[in-house]
Amino acid sequence: MTMELHIFLGLLLLLIPAGALFIFDRSLLRTMGIAVLRMVVQLLVLCLIVWALVKYDNIWLSLLWLVLLAVVSGVLALRRMKLPLLKFLLPVSAGLLVSALFVGAYLLLACLPAKNGFGARWFVPVMALLVGQTLTTLIRGLSTYHSALKADEQQYEFLRGNGTNHLQAVLPFVRRALQQVFAPTAANLSVMGIYAMPLLLCGIFIAGVAPINAFVVTLQLIFGCLAASVIALAVTLWLADRQLFDKFGKLQ
Amino acid sequence: MLEVKDATIAVGGQILATGLSFMARDGQLTCITGPEGSGKTTLLRTLMGFLPVSSGYVSVDGELLTVKSSQAFRRMMAYLPQQIQMLRHQLEPTQAPVCEPDNFGIWNPLPPKVVVSRQPAPLSPDDIYRLAEQTLQEASNKQIIIADEPAANLTPELSERMLQLLSSQADAGKTVLIASRRPLLVDHADLVIEMNQNT
Repeated sequence: MTMELHIFLGLLLLLIPAGALFIFDRSLLRTMGIAVLRMVVQLLVLCLIVWALVKYDNIWLSLLWLVLLAVVSGVLALRRMKLPLLKFLLPVSAGLLVSALFVGAYLLLACLPAKNGFGARWFVPVMALLVGQTLTTLIRGLSTYHSALKADEQQYEFLRGNGTNHLQAVLPFVRRALQQVFAPTAANLSVMGIYAMPLLLCGIFIAGVAPINAFVVTLQLIFGCLAASVIALAVTLWLADRQLFDKFGKLQ
Repeated sequence: MLEVKDATIAVGGQILATGLSFMARDGQLTCITGPEGSGKTTLLRTLMGFLPVSSGYVSVDGELLTVKSSQAFRRMMAYLPQQIQMLRHQLEPTQAPVCEPDNFGIWNPLPPKVVVSRQPAPLSPDDIYRLAEQTLQEASNKQIIIADEPAANLTPELSERMLQLLSSQADAGKTVLIASRRPLLVDHADLVIEMNQNT
């Protein structure tokens, strides 16, 4: 069968939800149509970018893509948190970039069965996965840290007034950020594979990897995401510190 | 001993005190008093090195205290802030939230909701006293005690106990410096510094 026929047969599946909506709620048919169209365009653009990266398979091009991904993700995260871009874009993007590069390089060179670790075929999905996961972490972590400092500034002042240095005084707030990051992560990890097969595992199966190897690769990637989450939060909070406190140690 | 000499205290361009000089001696309870907004808290923050003096100087045992050097001096200090009732998390460390799994869809989840931390519920007068007592116990090796409105959120009975607690620190030879408008505390101070717009 030709590629076009495969696509056509795939599209035929849409007739089932479209038919159901046509019968029961035609107004939703248009909404659904627009959503599917947007999804197709977004996926196509994404795949074209990956196609170009894999085709040229140049480490510098891949690194440039990673930097852009970190910056765009940083912008999205800050918009969601309603924090000023100018102040926090560098800390957030650097947190995403450094954590992905550090953990990604370790995974690609030391853990995963990649013959050419920095080849685009491995580099792109591994880095994208790490940036995506750490973005989630940063939104929870940085928003908790920032709002906890604002809401509980007295505790910071109390600790400073009692002789602790700045780093010791922010530790309770770092702890709260980590709690907000890892409590949902633990909840999600504990049910992984119960409600649905993880998307990551499905992708590895589709690529033709044996189940036991897929299990190992999935574990390594998940552990990598956890490690990258902590590094990203640490780098971001460290770099954001100057934006959060004035020269007298007062929260801005 | 904590000394303030010819100090000008200003915040945000507004001068709160000029030519301020006094010595808070070891073994004495020194009370800074004055109407609301007169700069009592600002003065205490300056004495702790959080803010600089515009002119004059502050010294501890003859050593000059500046914003840069203040970290080392604060290791000798115990501090009870004005808003001590808001320090719930100092008494009760935060617990990790209980979360339900939300991440089992077959497509990638959206970024999570932003977490907004709220102010903790204020401490009860009993808990405020307990925290003050605990802080001073942990600071047994510190020479200077600074308390900003230590009786502000306490019952009359607990205010008396707070006075006893602070007096016992002075009796132990420590420099105790408080800011308060409560007659109970002002009357028992060994030295009273009056702050007002004309100081």
